[in-house]
Amino acid sequence: MKADLIDIQVEDFGEDIEIKLSGSLGIFQLAAVREKIEMLVSGPGCFFFLNLQYAHFTCDEYLPFFLDLLDRVKGQKSSLILVFNSVEQKKYFSRYSNIFEVAESRNEYKSGSFSKQLQLVGVHYGRKTGLRLSPSVAIAVSVLLIGWAVTLFSIIVGQGSEIADKQAQIIALQSQKDRYIREIDKLESSIGPLRKLGVVQDTTTLTSFGLIKDWVSYLEYLENSRREK
Amino acid sequence: MAMKPVISFVLYQGYSAYSDKLNPVARNLLDALERVLSSGSLRCSVFFDGPTLEAVNMMAKPLELGRIKKGIREGFLEFLGGGYYDSMLPLFPQDLLNLQLDLHRSILKKLFSVEPVGYFNSSFVWEMEMTDMLEKHRYEYAVVTESSIQEALGRTTPVSGWFTTEDKGALMRVLSSSNTLSRAIMEDDYNWKNLIEPYCREGKAAVVALQLPENPSDIVPFMERLIDFVEANEVQTRLANHCIAHQSSEGRLSSLTSVGSRLGLPSSAKTCREILVRRPEINGLHKAFLALYHRGKSSDLSDRQLNHFYSRLMPVMSPIYFRDMSNDRGMRSPAVRYQGYRFLLNASNYLDDITGFNGLRVDVSDYLLAGRKFIWNENRSLSCLLDYHEGGVLESLNFKSSRLNLLSSWRDDGEPSVAFLDSYIPYSDYTADRLEQIISNREGVLTEPYDYQIKRSTVCDELQLSSEQPFAVGDQKGLFQIEKRYGFYGNTPVFFVNYRVTNAAYNVVKGFFGTLLELGMRAFDISQQSVLVDGKKVRWNMDEPLIYPEAKNLEIQDKVLPCVLRIEFETPASLFLGPVYGASSAAAPEEFQGLRIYPFWKTSLSSLSSALYKMNVRISRRGHFKGVL
Repeated sequence: MKADLIDIQVEDFGEDIEIKLSGSLGIFQLAAVREKIEMLVSGPGCFFFLNLQYAHFTCDEYLPFFLDLLDRVKGQKSSLILVFNSVEQKKYFSRYSNIFEVAESRNEYKSGSFSKQLQLVGVHYGRKTGLRLSPSVAIAVSVLLIGWAVTLFSIIVGQGSEIADKQAQIIALQSQKDRYIREIDKLESSIGPLRKLGVVQDTTTLTSFGLIKDWVSYLEYLENSRREK
Repeated sequence: MAMKPVISFVLYQGYSAYSDKLNPVARNLLDALERVLSSGSLRCSVFFDGPTLEAVNMMAKPLELGRIKKGIREGFLEFLGGGYYDSMLPLFPQDLLNLQLDLHRSILKKLFSVEPVGYFNSSFVWEMEMTDMLEKHRYEYAVVTESSIQEALGRTTPVSGWFTTEDKGALMRVLSSSNTLSRAIMEDDYNWKNLIEPYCREGKAAVVALQLPENPSDIVPFMERLIDFVEANEVQTRLANHCIAHQSSEGRLSSLTSVGSRLGLPSSAKTCREILVRRPEINGLHKAFLALYHRGKSSDLSDRQLNHFYSRLMPVMSPIYFRDMSNDRGMRSPAVRYQGYRFLLNASNYLDDITGFNGLRVDVSDYLLAGRKFIWNENRSLSCLLDYHEGGVLESLNFKSSRLNLLSSWRDDGEPSVAFLDSYIPYSDYTADRLEQIISNREGVLTEPYDYQIKRSTVCDELQLSSEQPFAVGDQKGLFQIEKRYGFYGNTPVFFVNYRVTNAAYNVVKGFFGTLLELGMRAFDISQQSVLVDGKKVRWNMDEPLIYPEAKNLEIQDKVLPCVLRIEFETPASLFLGPVYGASSAAAPEEFQGLRIYPFWKTSLSSLSSALYKMNVRISRRGHFKGVL
């Protein structure tokens, strides 16, 4: 019953897993801690928060274990974050403070700066897709993508305004056409009585004109009439 | 010349389990106090707990509170302070006790513009640590039982007056209240005049603590009878603080402990903590309370949120949940247990809401403070306590939506009610009565410790237990290698329990492998409950045990709580269904305490062969099961 030596709490928030160790941890508990922690980090999750705030280490053998654990978690393309804010733990991990990521709490870690958020998103999608990008490449790719997006947007906006102009022109021409039709109707109605009296010859009813359906026919008609002359 | 009796009456209202009765109680208490003030012959000290005082505030007519205030100023009434829920102080964390004492003090100040100087607890529990705590809360004296002072003094003769106790540099005056005299006056014993004589020597007053009737309509007649008693016998009455002020100290006590009264504890008990040792049901509620309190305290909550959380949690500290009594006076009553867990899970749900808890929590710790580890498993819908040291059984199974602990049955033998307690019993053609006897006596149970593994996956989280379980069936002895797996699916109230039973011995074993569930189902109204096997309603009144062969699923419905529990067996199982009865008071010789379910399978295993048994458990409020499996 090795596991009976340790108090351990696991909280699963989906991508975030918080593992809390508490109590006095010495050499006798090391095997149990190793077994349980390795078992827990082997499951799903992106961010493993190892809360050591209420743990008291009585030997240095835990440091190599935590380094191994960090390697293991990194190998899974996940993150290991140690959670504590006590002087005792800071001192215990001081030798490897540049290696371990330490936060005061899970919430504090999650609510960081823009670059931190970017990093968190990177870890999340790195875990999901299996791809890992360095920050500079990520920024370059982001700039490229944003550039593409801006260009695409400006093209769409430009085309949109052009289409709007054309539509305005079409509407203006349509209204002009309607006006001309109305004027022609008006003129026809005004010369209607004269046409009835035979004063005006209705050219539109001429057989030769009646055959004209389009400009090509009209031109052919003019040519023919010119030749006849 | 005959001695003129002088009595200091301390009247108190016991905690009621049913808050809906508080308004009529408060109305009658106000009328009773009106009688006291108008009589002018009775002076008494009074203790009401916080909820009763709130109800008094709500029910008081115009000028009624003013008359009570006048009575206090004129020395006819004194209000004693205490815990808001009249809690037994040694059982709970300091923060909550401070909050309770402050709350009770503030409501007394708000209603009657007085600050209490006397401390009272209706359970009469006292421990030396309370000296310091009460002094910090500006109490000058406390009412304790005569028997505790007799024990501290090492004498059996009557004790009256007040003594001092000292602890950590703090001083408290303790006023002795006579149990014998209180009982005699309560029961209209004509011998009271003889009994009172030793208490009233040298002009001292006998302190008599009387509980007001629980039935609201009996309160005013009780008070009228008391006034008649005082007037007819020409009893001179004093307030408790008057006794402290006008009588000198009777001496100092080096140590004072009072186990409490009306807790259902035997006379051999030394402290009120004995109730936690004797009754696993009470201990379970108490430890669940402590775990929730620590969880709330360690969460990042604002002061306002923490106070709201505490206000939901504190009703569980009421003494009714720490009494081994029946008839709605203690935890032997299913209704009281139900209500205790209802308060507890209400606070738990509130904490889940404000912390945004939406995942899974597995906590391996000494949850029951028993010197060994337990596994607490919790998601948004369910929580359960797994005792992997005692056969991998569940000791509590809470369905959060209905705020219900399904394993709140009560066993007279002092063993906890559990679920999935495995056993291996000889192969025989059992009658239901015989099988009930075997199960009730817990024969053939496989309770060796298991080793645990927590396996997380995207589908479900599993608690995997594995162990070797020796058994003896008649002359036959053997050894099983058992793998027992509990699997929980996200936030759904669904889980599975799977077994792989391997015969680790060389001989062939034949018998029944089964697992026991002792559910604390309600039996107040059988018309609202039903048991369905394979979708068909079983005509069963829960009185006599029965065996149902080859069942594929079992469904227990309760429309009132509301809760529907369904267990599906992948391998059809024989089902034993029986009631759990408990001995109770003479008025109700047998009280229904819950339901015993024992699915079992005929098992014949040659050496190193295995059998697989799988169960899916679904719980819902109305029987609309959805989700996984």
